[in-house]
Amino acid sequence: MIQVSSGNTHILRLITGFLKSGSFIFWITPSLFVFLSIITPGFFSVNNILNILSSSLPLMILCTGQTFVLITGGIDLSIMSIVALTSIVGSKAITLDQGWLCNSDYSVLIGIIIMLLCGAICGFLNGIIVAFIQGPPFIVTLSTMILFSGIAIWSTMSSNIYNLPPAFCQIGSSLGLSLIFTILIIIMANTILQRTPLGKWLYAVGSNIQTSFISGVPIKPILVFTYAFSGFCAACASILLTGKLETGSPVLGERMLLDVIGATVIAGISLYGGRGKITWAIFGVLLFTIIDNSLNLLNFSFFSIMITKGIIIFIAAFLDSMRTKLIKDLS
Amino acid sequence: MKILKQVLIFLLVLSMLILDTGCSPSTKQDTKNQLTIGIAFETLQTEYWVASYKLFQSECSDNKIKMLEAVANGDANRQFEQIRNFISRKVNGIIVVPKDGNTVIPMIKAANKAGIPIVCYNRPPSKSDAKSVSVIADNYKLTYETVNFLISKALQKKSKIKAMILVGDLGDINAIERRNGFEDAVSKFKDNIEIVARIPTEWNNEKAKAGIANALQAHPDVDLIFTSSDLHLPAIASSLKEIGRYKKSSEDGHVILGSFDGDATAYKMILDGYLDAVGVQDVFFEVKSAVKAIMDLNENKECDEIIRDPGLVVTQENIETMKSKMWGAILVNK
Repeated sequence: MIQVSSGNTHILRLITGFLKSGSFIFWITPSLFVFLSIITPGFFSVNNILNILSSSLPLMILCTGQTFVLITGGIDLSIMSIVALTSIVGSKAITLDQGWLCNSDYSVLIGIIIMLLCGAICGFLNGIIVAFIQGPPFIVTLSTMILFSGIAIWSTMSSNIYNLPPAFCQIGSSLGLSLIFTILIIIMANTILQRTPLGKWLYAVGSNIQTSFISGVPIKPILVFTYAFSGFCAACASILLTGKLETGSPVLGERMLLDVIGATVIAGISLYGGRGKITWAIFGVLLFTIIDNSLNLLNFSFFSIMITKGIIIFIAAFLDSMRTKLIKDLS
Repeated sequence: MKILKQVLIFLLVLSMLILDTGCSPSTKQDTKNQLTIGIAFETLQTEYWVASYKLFQSECSDNKIKMLEAVANGDANRQFEQIRNFISRKVNGIIVVPKDGNTVIPMIKAANKAGIPIVCYNRPPSKSDAKSVSVIADNYKLTYETVNFLISKALQKKSKIKAMILVGDLGDINAIERRNGFEDAVSKFKDNIEIVARIPTEWNNEKAKAGIANALQAHPDVDLIFTSSDLHLPAIASSLKEIGRYKKSSEDGHVILGSFDGDATAYKMILDGYLDAVGVQDVFFEVKSAVKAIMDLNENKECDEIIRDPGLVVTQENIETMKSKMWGAILVNK
């Protein structure tokens, strides 16, 4: 049997503590920000910082929903299709070109509610299949990704919807409004996760589903809620993206899934479940966005940026895998 | 919370240091009087965009202009972020290849607000109060003339013709203009021509391949096919081969083929006798005009709101005289 000295035990505890804490993201992001401010022309300017913030808000909302799903040990690949579908449904309702609600005084408000409901229902459907039919989340959400995207494209015959009310577009185009909207969602998600029994159950389900079941955790309703919340967050992001582009599109944000998964993995939210926080996700998004922004400012070609982002996500996923294994071995 | 506070203090102190020592690099031009242009492509997935990209590089280099590049990979939201990046870098002009005419409007408005001239390359914006210059091919006229040529050639062989069109992404005004050019040319001969299929492609080759294969299954006796972009020529060739109708114009059973763009594939297919005519966009004219517009606007010179590229119709009959103007031919011969 190997004897472990008290000095070694202390080091092991420190390593385990660091690995479990996930606080590295809080140090890496600001450090990289400062480093890039020094080496990247135009990075540390008011305009650019506002750009970074503006670009990261929809991603933050999407990652908030994805964090919930990842904590339970699942994954939601359908979020970008939900973004597209809610964009189409909302735009069809409120467009000034004979939208269903174009004559209503409250068209924007009702349109937003419809979008949120639509997103939550799509997520609810994912949750039902995952929880009750016990489909693997990857396959279930991959299938619904194709389904939702197909509905969005079919219902518009692939064309965009324009002429949205200025009040709606304002939500996406005004940084102040987008910021308030995002902060509200983040606070709500963080409160659920950190201060309610529901949050504790989410971690419990992600850490060990069988133990949670024996302990009386209501697993199925929790899983349904998780995916419904992810769909709700996708609808919130869709409101910002649709407003920003002043266009309802059946392919809105179709290329953003990589960014969502990448940012959450970089943040240290485990793909194996049971570990992650909303604050980590927010810093992960900021890290991902400033890397993207700085590579653009450094005039890297599009291909180099894609390759760099791919490598970063791979390293983060690899580290997550190593970390999970190490924590298991050490404990 | 404790760690967040520490991080915020760390960030604040270091940011102040950066500001204080002035070590953050300047965004201003390093070289006096050198213009910087940001060029934002929606995609680089077709030969036409790649050819334009390379020509922009050489045109900027010839005019001693610094070129910043960005590719949005088909994502309008990402393109908007890239345009904002250009604006924050205080470029002297922006050339954008938009995903469509509407999503580009907020981008133009952002450039207008920053006082930066913006040119829409190859796709014009929809009507709005946003100010920009557009350099575009005359898609309607060029398609109309190309299809007219194809019809007259087809009618020499048969009096009743079955035709098909591969339509592009109808969110793209260029696709709409090309479709309209085709429809109007055909409508003049409505007693002689029946359009048996209008195949939506969304500028996607897989969709084009599936669509043309299905259409050819239903109508293997088709006489004329027009595609709104050279992008889909390989899909058409492959589908025609499957039903044994990929024949040269000198052979029996040849399907009269027409296309739009003028890339290297189209050039080779014309030389080989498979493609009858192509409406060619003058990419050299378009690139030069876009860069010149930015230079003129920076010198406060007047500039037309729409600069039209008349283009040219290249056929098997005139390929020898026209190849010096066809960008696809030039790429092949390079």
